[in-house]
Amino acid sequence: MILVGVLRHYVTLLLNSPPKKQTLAAIREQRGLVRSQVLRATSTNSPLPPHYYRALSSHLIQSFTLGTYLKDGPPSNNPDAPKPGPVNPLSDPGAMEGMMDGMKKQMVMMVPQMVIMGWINFFFQGFVLIKLPFPLTLGFKSMMQRGIETQDMDVRWVSSLSWYFLNLFGLNGLFRLILGTENAADSTQDMSALPFVGTPGAPAGPQDYVKLFATEKDNLEFAEGQYSWVGDGVERRVLEQWGMVPSPGKPKSA
Amino acid sequence: MGMSVDSYANVLAEYRTRNIRASEDVLKKGIFILERNGLGKLGSEAWPFLEQLALAALDLGRLDIANECISRLDKQFVGSPRVECLQGIRLEFKGAYDDALAMYQAILEVDPQIPYAIWKRKISVLRQSGKIKHAVDELITYLDAFYTDPEAWLELADIYASMSLYLQSLSSLSHVLLLIPQNPFYVLQAAETAYTALDIPLALKFFLRSVEMVPEGGASTRGWYGVKLCARRLLSSLPTSLDAVATSSASETPLPSAHHLALLDQLATERLLAAYSTSSPSSAASKTASVSASLAGSVAADAREVLIRWLQGK
Repeated sequence: MILVGVLRHYVTLLLNSPPKKQTLAAIREQRGLVRSQVLRATSTNSPLPPHYYRALSSHLIQSFTLGTYLKDGPPSNNPDAPKPGPVNPLSDPGAMEGMMDGMKKQMVMMVPQMVIMGWINFFFQGFVLIKLPFPLTLGFKSMMQRGIETQDMDVRWVSSLSWYFLNLFGLNGLFRLILGTENAADSTQDMSALPFVGTPGAPAGPQDYVKLFATEKDNLEFAEGQYSWVGDGVERRVLEQWGMVPSPGKPKSA
Repeated sequence: MGMSVDSYANVLAEYRTRNIRASEDVLKKGIFILERNGLGKLGSEAWPFLEQLALAALDLGRLDIANECISRLDKQFVGSPRVECLQGIRLEFKGAYDDALAMYQAILEVDPQIPYAIWKRKISVLRQSGKIKHAVDELITYLDAFYTDPEAWLELADIYASMSLYLQSLSSLSHVLLLIPQNPFYVLQAAETAYTALDIPLALKFFLRSVEMVPEGGASTRGWYGVKLCARRLLSSLPTSLDAVATSSASETPLPSAHHLALLDQLATERLLAAYSTSSPSSAASKTASVSASLAGSVAADAREVLIRWLQGK
């Protein structure tokens, strides 16, 4: 079983496809949103003077309106052009590839387990393999004696199939020791990851940047309403910090 | 011996994760590891170690060590862009800018994925070999895609400043301020750029912001100098408004009231005097007194003298 685990780890490594390469236009499209997010993040206490803030903000709003950041260029204004509906993830070869990749990995996980389990079931069904050196309550009966339908056998006897399951989970620590923490042989991954559901790191499918940019434009306009410069009244704050003018609450002396 | 190879390797790994350059230390410890054939002990860590050592060796002009590291890496990773980047840096070290440039260009054309490290090297070579306009164009294209790279924005600001385009430099710095609003040194840099661009009201605001962030010690002394400079300049021109240059602001920044300006001038003077008097007790405390301590004391006293004269001047 250890050997199968090690083998599985390396097969998964082989199947790992290199990270998808992106063109410059695609990167630019993705990061266009970051620009306005960075600008918005500090807008209520912005380090930028109004002059610079307004220039940046209006530039971004304009480019979002015109769609200059879109990978495929600005959308055409031709009303006859077919409206692109929601993108079907199966039609995009890039997304398809990512899905296949996940499935391949799942197969590598599942196949050897099914084979070993079938093998054990076939040859050792009904065998009792070991006797635990400590007593257990009856509640453990279904866990320890899977595959054996005997009412009054002591719970300390463990059936072959149950022993296989216990090993399957117990070996994780050993794999971690042999293969490092990020190994692919860890069977807890099988349990947590369902097939066809992407891992958290996987891209969440193609996004409609036209809509995203439209929303971001509204956000920018909203942020501009909230904008204030951190330099406004900074002289007063510094003077207060050093006790040169009375602190707020009292009427302004100047 | 094995003990110290291990401990050195740990220190170097720490440098790598925290992105500390410390070339001299890296070179010293790296040579120690190489001489004791510690590479095998490092396991898979050996490759990043060799890359680090090669860069440190090039920093300090040890071409022999760099060559050894790079040839080992090249044997292991044939055609890796990271190794090619190192080879390019070696060419730069030898002064063969055109060769390096051609090499980077070739990699960038072949690779559809954007190896941005190589792109940045290319921009740096363009600047070093005097093709400033080309470098600026490339840098702007780079920043258009990789907006969140403050290093590149600082480089652009520096190029503009070196060409006396201070307003453009200030625009580049404004992006750095957006990306890293918590660093007082960038605020100071923006203040000084604004001052040089003759936008004194804006410079005053930035200087004040930097001393608000760090009231004492650290970046503050330079900030208080700036406050003093701006306040004095503005005060001397205020009653008559004759010095239109001083009070005009390209960014239409409002001036503080005259009363506040006078207070700021006074406060900056106090803070500067305090900053220089706190440095002198160190010499007073060490009365056990070596010659160097008293020498340092007298230098500090001289500096204070000069400062007082400057503060009193108009």
